[in-house]
Amino acid sequence: MEIALIGNPNTGKTSLFNNLTGSYEYVGNWSGVTVEKKVGVFKNHIGKLIDLPGIYSLNPLSKDEGVVTTYFLEEQVDRLLNILDASQLERNLHLTLQLLEYEKPALIGLNMIDVANNRGIKINTDKLSQILGVPVVPVVARSGKGCDTLIEVISTSSNHSKVKKHVYYGKVIEDGITKLSMELIGKTDHSPRWLAIQLFEGNEYIHRYLSDLIEPNKLVTLVSNLESAIKEENGNIKSLANYIYLKRKKVIEKVLEASVQKVSTIVPLSERIDAIVTNRYLGMPIFLICMYLMFMLTFDWLGTPLSDVLDGILTGPVTAGFEKLLGVIHASDFIHALIIEGLIAGVGGVLVFVPQIFILFFFISLLEDSGYMARVALVMDRIMESVGLNGKAFIPMMIGFGCNVPGIMAARTIETPRERLMTILLTPLMSCSARLPVYAIFVGAFFVGHKALVVLSLYVLGIVVALLLAKIFTKTLLKSEASLFVIELPPYRLPQVQSLWRSTWDKGKGFVRKAGTFIFAGSVFIWLLSYAGPNGLKVDMDDSFLAAIGNLFAPVLEPIGFGTWQAAASLITGFLAKEAIISTMNIIYFVPENASLQGLLSDFYTPLAAYSFMVFILLYIPCLATAATIYKETGSKKWTAFSILYALFIAYVLCLVIYQGGKLFGLV
Amino acid sequence: MFGSFKAGEKGKIINISKVGRLVQRRLLDLGITEGSEVCVKCVMPFGGPVMIESCGQCVGLRRKEACLIEVERI
Ligand SMILES: Nc1nc2c(ncn2[C@@H]2O[C@H](COP(=O)(O)OP(=O)(O)OP(=O)(O)O)[C@@H](O)[C@H]2O)c(=O)[nH]1
Ligand SMILES: [Mg+2]
Repeated sequence: MEIALIGNPNTGKTSLFNNLTGSYEYVGNWSGVTVEKKVGVFKNHIGKLIDLPGIYSLNPLSKDEGVVTTYFLEEQVDRLLNILDASQLERNLHLTLQLLEYEKPALIGLNMIDVANNRGIKINTDKLSQILGVPVVPVVARSGKGCDTLIEVISTSSNHSKVKKHVYYGKVIEDGITKLSMELIGKTDHSPRWLAIQLFEGNEYIHRYLSDLIEPNKLVTLVSNLESAIKEENGNIKSLANYIYLKRKKVIEKVLEASVQKVSTIVPLSERIDAIVTNRYLGMPIFLICMYLMFMLTFDWLGTPLSDVLDGILTGPVTAGFEKLLGVIHASDFIHALIIEGLIAGVGGVLVFVPQIFILFFFISLLEDSGYMARVALVMDRIMESVGLNGKAFIPMMIGFGCNVPGIMAARTIETPRERLMTILLTPLMSCSARLPVYAIFVGAFFVGHKALVVLSLYVLGIVVALLLAKIFTKTLLKSEASLFVIELPPYRLPQVQSLWRSTWDKGKGFVRKAGTFIFAGSVFIWLLSYAGPNGLKVDMDDSFLAAIGNLFAPVLEPIGFGTWQAAASLITGFLAKEAIISTMNIIYFVPENASLQGLLSDFYTPLAAYSFMVFILLYIPCLATAATIYKETGSKKWTAFSILYALFIAYVLCLVIYQGGKLFGLV
Repeated sequence: MFGSFKAGEKGKIINISKVGRLVQRRLLDLGITEGSEVCVKCVMPFGGPVMIESCGQCVGLRRKEACLIEVERI
């Protein structure tokens, strides 16, 4: 049995999915968190549950919404589980009526009962269920309350709506439906009534689907005839879609009247918080202060001490333990060097940053779960508009601070194709967590007094460069004025410790796993390249293959401050994964005993060169996984290549300006 | 007109047809259409977006679109 979760955005579908399947998919308090279809299996194995992006209606505007319509048209759904936000019933029911027209077994999960109660909204679920003809189960997806009942109802009843026509659209439309249904006899498995109504509403996807079954001309004339008939009949109706909407609205008003009671009106706390964070003048400063605090905690107050402790353990007891073990098993010199100089230096060098990465992810999760995300988009819209984007594009960028890949995926919620493409191209400029170890090492070595400030400057630089490029792209490559900004601002929700931890862990896990697999293999490979050379094994590192490869590129990097083969070699590995930069450096600059990489770096870099290096790392290339995602999302080799090339170009030019300019001003 | 509204003021939408088609659709999705009561929650500086509330739902939209919505004060 396949059950699909459908509902408005941000109504708690994914929370419920996680609860029912025991999986962990991405949850956040804004609209458009889920952008792809996700499949899970019920904990009690009664069937498969499909999580889908949130939609307001089956007539999509953006790509993530299109995913749902395509799903409806192309796949076999056995049952629909419609999730409603109990505190926003009126708006949610428009979708419900469309789903019931689909004429598949359905049931309703009435979520956010707690929120509705707090607002003084009382819902009579029996009455609601009676009117709609399908079971209605109240749940609180966040805590799992009511989930048992929901599962019971799913597995027992058949859930075919007992009511046949929920909305009577008037004679003209109903005749139109009949007419189309006649044409469709024997041609489709879908409900003809549903197809017809969606077509009349102007659903492009349905139009395309029907065009394969019926002569396109016929469709067009049918719809335009209907539209003029309706307009003639009702003077104030602007379009067919509008007419259908109003008909549904009438029905919904009746439903609500019968089943909902408003006990009292309470001003939610949310609005009082909004008075501050989206204040005219305080909005932007508050955002910057939040970012600054986040970096202070990550790089200064909390993260660095923790990393130092971990570093102490890895270079001390862990290394000593391995040494001993290797001694006991009489390992050959080769194996000894591979483990100590390759793996421990490479993998350990990355693992050291786990505390800092987790702190950063904690803040990102906090941002996502609290409801602040959509507010930032609102605060940023004015600036984004001036460069030809809209505030919504800032959400993918902020997700990109964690990892660029989900950031690029999140761009699906942006409605206009031009803005979406631009967001996809620019999100890689956001400094992802994999770049963080590089900053941590370099600021620790060169900018001890101003760690957080220097790192903040890099993050802000990433944003500024992205905005400037957006402006340039708007003026040259992607000309068009179309821009759309309407954003739903969800109420603030106090994040729960447990869900916060889970979402932090889920993101951080990826980092640890990558260190154990990708970076592990990479470290072995890099170490071998540094161990072997044209003249055999165990060569001096300057004569190794790695040095030879690095030396090819080193001269090019000379003008921007770090023309060493070591830097070049680590940049090359950085394309595979940005974490690999630090593991490569740890292997290359391997220092036995307790001297640290940080101490050693000052022999190779000046502070100015170090800053230039960090800027280069920030901008120079999307990593392999990101490039693959760009290709997947744009479906274009050209744009993927472009995203790599423009980044290289911008990084080089900017570093040239910083390094040469800095030298002119006497900085070193 | 909506353009002259200050934070905290309330009104009822009487005509929304001048707004762009896509924006109109999105507002409709959020339950904001002719006849809806709306309250301006805040107005961002430098011609930035406005935040409005309708039926307990807060929505952000651009000032220039908000100005095209005809509203009567209540
Ligand atoms: N108070 C309360 N909050 C809930 C409940 N269910 C979910 N939430 C919160 O609502 C927010 C949205 O949850 P999601 O599960 O991501 O919603 P979604 O429907 O999957 O959203 P999209 O993927 O954007 O369509 C999260 O912050 C949840 O913690 C509930 O029953 N009560
Ligand atoms: Mg979701």
